[in-house]
Amino acid sequence: MIFKIFKKELKDTLRDKRTLIMMLIIPTLVFPVIMSVFLSVSDSFLENTETKEVKIGYIGNKDNYLINHLDHLPEIYGEKRLFVYTDSVKLKKDIRNDTIQMGVYIDSQFDKYLSNKRPAKVKVFYNATDVGMEGRAKAYLKTIEEIALQERYLDLKLDASELMPIKTEYSNVASGKEMIGELAGGILPYIFIAFGFLGCMYPAIDLFTGEKERGTIETLLTTPVERWQILFGKMGVVVLSGLVASSAALLGLFLSIEVLDLVENEELLSMIHGILSLKFLLTLFLLLLPLTLFIAGIMIPIAVYAKSFKEAQSIITPLNILIILPAMVGFFPGIELSVITACIPVVNIVLATKELISGTLDHSLLGLSFTVMMMIAVIAVFISYKQFDKETNVVI
Amino acid sequence: MIEISDLRKEFALSSQQRKELNTKDSIATAVDDVSFKCKPGRVFSLLGPNGAGKTTTLRMISTIFKPTSGSIKIAGIDAIKNPKEARKKIGFLTGSTGLYARLTPNEIIKYFADLHGVSNDKFEERKEHLYTLLDMHDFQGKRIGKLSTGMKQKVSICRTMIHDPEVVVFDEPTSGLDVITAENIIKLIRGCKEQGKTVLFSSHIMSEVDLLCDDMAIIHKGKLLFEGTMDDFKNQMQAENLTAEFIRFVNATKNQ
Repeated sequence: MIFKIFKKELKDTLRDKRTLIMMLIIPTLVFPVIMSVFLSVSDSFLENTETKEVKIGYIGNKDNYLINHLDHLPEIYGEKRLFVYTDSVKLKKDIRNDTIQMGVYIDSQFDKYLSNKRPAKVKVFYNATDVGMEGRAKAYLKTIEEIALQERYLDLKLDASELMPIKTEYSNVASGKEMIGELAGGILPYIFIAFGFLGCMYPAIDLFTGEKERGTIETLLTTPVERWQILFGKMGVVVLSGLVASSAALLGLFLSIEVLDLVENEELLSMIHGILSLKFLLTLFLLLLPLTLFIAGIMIPIAVYAKSFKEAQSIITPLNILIILPAMVGFFPGIELSVITACIPVVNIVLATKELISGTLDHSLLGLSFTVMMMIAVIAVFISYKQFDKETNVVI
Repeated sequence: MIEISDLRKEFALSSQQRKELNTKDSIATAVDDVSFKCKPGRVFSLLGPNGAGKTTTLRMISTIFKPTSGSIKIAGIDAIKNPKEARKKIGFLTGSTGLYARLTPNEIIKYFADLHGVSNDKFEERKEHLYTLLDMHDFQGKRIGKLSTGMKQKVSICRTMIHDPEVVVFDEPTSGLDVITAENIIKLIRGCKEQGKTVLFSSHIMSEVDLLCDDMAIIHKGKLLFEGTMDDFKNQMQAENLTAEFIRFVNATKNQ
């Protein structure tokens, strides 16, 4: 009987355009859209930062060593034009209003200090809100400093390697998967939870509050079907919708990588291929199942209690924040799945998913996280049952 | 047969409801020791003004609500102890009943037949009979959302009768319907009576009651004011017509 109710509710839900948009279309499109926009914006920004002509104002002698070298730096460092300033106040003001992008104040004794083999002073002004300009200024100065250093070694007849007492090599032992897990692992569970929530929301309201509002529940309750069977049939559709929405988000990610070729870096691509295995997907759904059941379990009592679609929506929408906030834990570095975090609902699923991506998931902690989340989900389902069994809630 | 004795329903009032009703009582009694009997092959009408307790009584009979006390027997089955079995015998239709707008009449009728455990053979036979009777063949595959009020009413009737219930309960079935559409309900009630079914319907429209019912009860503020045959009611009338007598009855209790 539960299956008959489930089948009917599923058919009804699949004919609702609003649910289809929230359950399938938006989650599928979110990754391709976000990735396309992010990549095109960052590419154009990077290109713009690298090729943009920089106007540099300077205070000092035109024949100065630094200005001379700066003027003759190759084009690879980006196009630039130099302007003479006599007033540092005007120089800074022009940087602020973007008339020039960089300012160089050269000490009047610069060349003298340089030839005396003493540190020659120079002050560089830039606007930190003009992204990329600090890097460009440092690149210019470092290059000129390197040229000056080599000249000094030559003058002093010194071997540069003799002046380097320690040669340090830093080597990262984390695998590429672990790096992806740490840096981007937080966003995946966050998106799964967000879409799992949205996927559950409309069917939950439509199948419980909507049925009450339309006056169809009364007839359903006079059929020889137990109330818990009606609840479970409907809840099945709510959970399935949540899982479909999460899966659609995953499908969107897959399409972005495999069909739209949005990831061009070969090394990164092979790492992603290494992550997206059948075992990964099965474990991911194992984690998403109790989470979606929990989400459905907390939405349904509200949907049962609410007297109108609007009322249900106004209570459930802020609930989104309660679920999403713990999901944001995945973004913080240093928080890992442990016996303690595995006992915190939602947080445990987020951290377990993150570690699943990194390939560092401990099976006993996975079991603990699953059990804790399942227990919480069962409590939420029990609350749904109690609410649905309350006669004043079911009939208006 | 429907046998109701000493039926009582109390609802706990929340503080907000107490404020709205301007009362200090923590409990509201919607139905207060009501007893009556509806016999097979006869139409029983439950009459009362708005808020009298008619719908609550019918919801208890159809097992949507559990009574606080009293007993309900549907076709010999104790509806409080065995609600699921009692529901198999009941067909329930209300004037405010909605239908699933995204489904077709065929899908809705099949769904309710399945929920009532009607076998496939019986279903096809009943469906054909009802579709012919109600002239539903032309719109059986259209979505409910695209049907007229009259068509929807026919689907509601068909859904109520698909499992061939022994007892049919109608809660203000013609409310909000035009005369032509209401005629379908009138025909249905007469048909049920001819088939020997027990028919219970609630109404506050005296002309409808006069047209259809054999037995009647008047309920007001949850209490039973009258129970007997339609003829008994007419014989004791003090007002000049049925509507005036109904109003007189209700007002008499207000003055008590």
